[in-house]
Amino acid sequence: MSESEQGTRQLDLAHIARFGSGLGTVYHALDLLLATRGHDDAALVVDVPALGRQVLRAGRRPLRDDDHGLLDREPGLYVGPADDGGLDAVDEPLVQDLMVALAELGFRHDTAALGARDLATP
Amino acid sequence: MSLDELELVLRTLQGVRAVGFVESDGLLMVEIQAGADAEETLARDATLRAHEHAGMPVAVEVVRWGGGIEPVKDARVQLVEVTTDPEASELTVRIALGDAQALGRGNMERGLLGAVEATVYAIRTFIPELPFLPGWARVVETTPERQFIVVASVTEPEARRHLRGAAEGATPVDGAVRATLAALNRTIGPEL
Repeated sequence: MSESEQGTRQLDLAHIARFGSGLGTVYHALDLLLATRGHDDAALVVDVPALGRQVLRAGRRPLRDDDHGLLDREPGLYVGPADDGGLDAVDEPLVQDLMVALAELGFRHDTAALGARDLATP
Repeated sequence: MSLDELELVLRTLQGVRAVGFVESDGLLMVEIQAGADAEETLARDATLRAHEHAGMPVAVEVVRWGGGIEPVKDARVQLVEVTTDPEASELTVRIALGDAQALGRGNMERGLLGAVEATVYAIRTFIPELPFLPGWARVVETTPERQFIVVASVTEPEARRHLRGAAEGATPVDGAVRATLAALNRTIGPEL
């Protein structure tokens, strides 16, 4: 990906964060991660108050039989394929923390918006 | 339709850990991964919400897991073979549970429903009280490699519960049999 393409995608991400949903922003960030780092797959595992452990896979792809064991992972960002074909934790604590925080904020934003909408619906 | 909203609504159901989507040929397939704390009614609740929000035909598959560490490794019925007898308009499904095998027969003139019926009848050999009845099956995609992706549905009339499974097969009938097994295997596992 060229620098200009990367810049455009990052602008898209800011735009989605401003006007879109929290989940949409998280999935776009995962797409951006795949596009810029050459990974084939990525997943986020987060603990969300009220929802519990949540797994988000890039592209909203199904986990099927959870061959990568994502449902059993600790919160974090995982990318692949690793040498064994699985998904490894990203070895950059800052990126890990930022992505997990983004996901938690996204869930917090969307659940609050959903609750507010339901309350407003007679 | 807002996929974000549908996904969020599904994730707010108790025990849901992950939600995935595949859209194919006008059908939205929703896969829900659920933990041990999920309600018994999750499949019904998720299907209702999916239909409410999707605005297009939807098939929901719920994958249930055990205590959070290991998946529930129940016994699983395996497909041995599917044979057809065009002259008799009959298809036969042979399945295995460990060393035991069972046969189910269906009418080819009933199309893919005949494959679902044959599979359900075969499973009844192992679980005579199986509450699910054959529902329907349809091909949702044909891949460039001439593999057929089929969604099949079975219904428990009393509980008004529908289970759906998706699978790939070398023929539509093969795919329908595998999809029926996919729909039932996780539910019947504890009874085998």
